[in-house]
Amino acid sequence: MSTDAILLQALDITKSFSQDGTPAQALKGVSLGVAAGEFVSLVGRSGSGKSTFVSVLSTLLKPDSGQLLYNGQDLALAGEAEIDAIRHRDFAVIFQFHYLLPYLTALENTLLPFMRGLRPVTRVQKARAFECLERVGLADKAQRLPGQLSGGEQQRVAIARALVKDARVLFADEPTGSLDSATGATVMELLAGIRGDGLSVVMVTHNEEYARLADRVVRMEDGLVV
Amino acid sequence: MNILTIALRNARKKWVRTSLLLLVFSLGVVSIVALSFVSRVVGEGLEKKLVSFGANILVSPKSEKLTVSYGGFALGDMLFDVTYLDEAATEAKINAIALRKNISVIAPKLVVLDRVAGVPAAIVGVRFDREKLLKGYWTVAQGDFPTKPEGLLVGSAAAAKLGLKLGDAVPLAVAGGGSAGSQLVVQGILAPTGSEDDNVLLGDLGYLQRVTHRPSKVNFVEVAALCSACPIDDIVSQLGTVLPDTEIKTLRGIVQQRMVSVLFVKKLILSVSLVILLTGCSMVGISMLSAVNERKKEIGILRSLGFSRRSVFAIFSAEAAAVGLLAGLVGYVAGYFVSFRILAVLELESTAPLPFEPLHLVATALVLALLTSLASLFPAWKAASIEPSEALVTL
Repeated sequence: MSTDAILLQALDITKSFSQDGTPAQALKGVSLGVAAGEFVSLVGRSGSGKSTFVSVLSTLLKPDSGQLLYNGQDLALAGEAEIDAIRHRDFAVIFQFHYLLPYLTALENTLLPFMRGLRPVTRVQKARAFECLERVGLADKAQRLPGQLSGGEQQRVAIARALVKDARVLFADEPTGSLDSATGATVMELLAGIRGDGLSVVMVTHNEEYARLADRVVRMEDGLVV
Repeated sequence: MNILTIALRNARKKWVRTSLLLLVFSLGVVSIVALSFVSRVVGEGLEKKLVSFGANILVSPKSEKLTVSYGGFALGDMLFDVTYLDEAATEAKINAIALRKNISVIAPKLVVLDRVAGVPAAIVGVRFDREKLLKGYWTVAQGDFPTKPEGLLVGSAAAAKLGLKLGDAVPLAVAGGGSAGSQLVVQGILAPTGSEDDNVLLGDLGYLQRVTHRPSKVNFVEVAALCSACPIDDIVSQLGTVLPDTEIKTLRGIVQQRMVSVLFVKKLILSVSLVILLTGCSMVGISMLSAVNERKKEIGILRSLGFSRRSVFAIFSAEAAAVGLLAGLVGYVAGYFVSFRILAVLELESTAPLPFEPLHLVATALVLALLTSLASLFPAWKAASIEPSEALVTL
């Protein structure tokens, strides 16, 4: 993989937290490059730092040191508005829990990235959201509230929300963690299918079988890539 | 669908909390609006009643007058020249001022000096219909208010001193400017008032102008102005502009007494309104603050989707503003109708009109939306300060 093709690059990232007054280093100088269209799986035991690392990569968490480059731009030097814009335009995140807004329908939850301002959602955006719901097999449940959907369906709405804005990088933190094996397999099929869209995927998982669906498996242990 | 959808849908989802907040705030607005309407009507009613206790502005021609007193002994005024005002022109000019709606009575007067049974007496020409409005304290002890042009209403002290009874004829001396043979007839005698009216004879202004050959002439004009809606100084200033050759005096004591009564009611209402608003705003603030703590995850989701801090701030502010806007609209309309009920209970419904003003409705709703937004400033700022990692990231 040439350096030019790298879309997202983390260099020597460190991150510490305070646990009961004792500092604990979650990341001890982790580096990783993700190429455009590449599917990378981060695997490791609980507490290995993989979730912390994916949060840093997705800009949800600021590292203590190290560099995070997106499209060659050092995000440490970018302003908050610029990072918000990148997160809005180019990044999509799927969490272990679906994190849908309970008072919005499946369609409205899918459209959420377009509801940032006063400008109303366009017909094209609505059509796109409907298309995404169709892709995850929920077109017929577009008007249902999250409470009226099963856990797997809720996670599929979260995937549709991640797909709707044509992001360039999708971060998935244990996307099947809260699902039974059958539903988890369906969700993984969807994520594997996304690769064909030219989207880069960084997925955190415990499941070795799911990890093998990726182009590359990165193992983490004790805050380091091994 | 836009950012406001998020705010409004959440308010709908949490309908119990929203309804309670709306109910409490609307009740507050109802109280404020009703108090304001009732105070306005009571104030105007009070003003109208106070007007019947006399005028508060005096318009007279500029004259060269010298008040002579020596050693504390008053020798009276020395008039070098008696000038008159033209009644019609003066009234027309008073009617033309911008604050005309604040003037309730214009009462012109012509004073004629005469001798009745050899005793000097003053006959004051008045417009009885207006004088009755201005002097609600007048009571006719004998007879009635004059119905004929030559009819006279005699003050109690004057009647006693001059020995006048109902039906007595009072010849108007030529010295007083009267036409030969003209005379006035006593039609009523006033009960004692404790004012200057006790010492004079009151006749019809038009008749006196005619028989004294002073057509349309008056010595001065008394004006009763309503002071609740504007400072009296503004009215005086406008009168001074349209009547440059006159002296305009305010009877400050009367004005200040009226203003004190009206302002007291206004201050009381303002204080109560402020307490209600403060309580309502505190409730909104506390409720929003607890909502921020409840909705941390939601804020994290929005931030992870690229919503800026400003957008998160806007969602919480919009939610509070929506409550204020709705409470303003509902509260104003309900308050308007409640004030009718209160006025009916107080038997004041006919005191003054209570017009429904759509502009006030809009202004009330907007002011309340602004107030609730201000009350939610801290919660909204707190929401905007939440880091996505703080809300979502499991480490």
